Amino acid sequence: MMKPLAELTAVAAADSQPVQTHIQVKSVGQRFGIGNTMVTALEDIDLTINRGEFVSLLGPSGCGKSTLFMIIAGLLAPTLGYVEIAGKRVTRPVTDMGIAFQQDLLVDWRTVLGNVMLQAEVRKLDLEKSRTRALGLIAQVGLAGFEDKRPWQLSGGMRQRVAICRALLHESDILMMDEPFGALDALTRDQMNLDLQDIWSRSGKTAILVTHSIAEAIFLSDRIVLMSPRPGRIALDLRIELPRPRTVDMKDTPDFIQYQKQLRALIGTH
Amino acid sequence: MQPREFSLQAPLMFLITLGILLAVWQISSNMGWLPAYIVPSPLVVLAKLHETFGTMVGHALITVLEILLGFILATAGAIIFAVFVVFFRFVDRVAYPWLLVLQVIPKVALGPLLVLWLGFGFFPKVLLAFLLAFFPIMIATIIGLRSLDGNSINLMRSMGAGRWAIFRYMQLPASLPQIFGSLKVAITLAVVGALVGEFVGGNQGLGYVLVVANGNLDTALLFVSLVWISVIALAFYGLIAYVERLCVSWHVSFRDSLAALRA
Repeated sequence: MMKPLAELTAVAAADSQPVQTHIQVKSVGQRFGIGNTMVTALEDIDLTINRGEFVSLLGPSGCGKSTLFMIIAGLLAPTLGYVEIAGKRVTRPVTDMGIAFQQDLLVDWRTVLGNVMLQAEVRKLDLEKSRTRALGLIAQVGLAGFEDKRPWQLSGGMRQRVAICRALLHESDILMMDEPFGALDALTRDQMNLDLQDIWSRSGKTAILVTHSIAEAIFLSDRIVLMSPRPGRIALDLRIELPRPRTVDMKDTPDFIQYQKQLRALIGTH
Repeated sequence: MQPREFSLQAPLMFLITLGILLAVWQISSNMGWLPAYIVPSPLVVLAKLHETFGTMVGHALITVLEILLGFILATAGAIIFAVFVVFFRFVDRVAYPWLLVLQVIPKVALGPLLVLWLGFGFFPKVLLAFLLAFFPIMIATIIGLRSLDGNSINLMRSMGAGRWAIFRYMQLPASLPQIFGSLKVAITLAVVGALVGEFVGGNQGLGYVLVVANGNLDTALLFVSLVWISVIALAFYGLIAYVERLCVSWHVSFRDSLAALRA
């Protein structure tokens, strides 16, 4: 029951730049342990992500999506294969990247502003400029007035917003998020998805999101890479042709539901 | 959750209970229930305190210096050593077991040996204070530095942080609450170390006064020494608690989260 594709692709094409490969995962495999206890976490992963694309790695727990995330970020060396970012092979932690995890990893000894500024201090960026930018980001995620609060004075959703500000501060080309909203309630999560879409579309960053929420993946992504477990493989690489900006109401449209059905059926069969 | 307020209630309660205690004690002495050669009355102790003040200040100063030097060396040494244990596997494997061996020897038993090696002067006391204070600080620092979760490290590495930056921005601040806890234990141990050192040999310091007073059956002087020692130990403890409040007031232990659980 898809809409005529021409109509949708026309919208997408209007604001898209010439396609440029940004991240390439080549024949990546990952094994943990040795002998009888050896576990193959990933097998034969090939993936090309274009500049400015929003890609979700979707799959049930244990499908290796977080392992793949770590490999792309250069935080884990793959057993086989390699990753290239902007044509350069990844051999160490990638720094042209902002990362957010399921835990917000805010530190109690810094204020909201201080936590965002950690990024600038560690990278030895210009502190004055970074401060201005940090204040702007904090305001953009709706936390103006909370700059001097401590993490423990904030709700889970607010904390995760601060973590995302920290990931955005240094204007890197890539935004990577591993289940950033996994610990939030459904209502907060919807709002965070809207805000993230807004932030991402303004930033032009390439974004990779690890999630096990089908709806979240469809809502946010240009492409969904569905992974199947044991060993982790790419089961489906699905382009989401919904117009942007997407709204919460869109979740009730036939297209959205169709994507949802398709993905759920595949996850069920694995 | 509100930050825990500093209140005068606790010191006030202390003064009230102290007053009651002293009153009961004085009355007991007056009634003849407490023989003066075993427990002199508060007024007798007070008179002695006044009478010996000049000489006691000198002894107290020496003991304070021993405690201070031993404690500062222990703090610096233990934290530096802990950093080496955490960052260099070699140190962890080779030096740490020996430190454990050293720790299980009762340090007080080392007193005579230290006197033999270092004489009756100032340094064996400092060394004993140092030895007693070292271990708790080292253990707390090691545990604190190691309590960093994997994703915090991943986050820092994605920022380009090396070992030093991770230490400076994450591990050290995160372990400060534990370190301060251990400092509070260590300062009281440093006091014990200095006093025991003075028991064993030498002719100055509050520990020496204790030994002399004991020899002369001068219980009033014994109590005077105890007053000096307690005041010094309390002052040190208070100073550490104050610095702790300045440094780690962000820690959960300063938030009074348990208010609801308390009677």
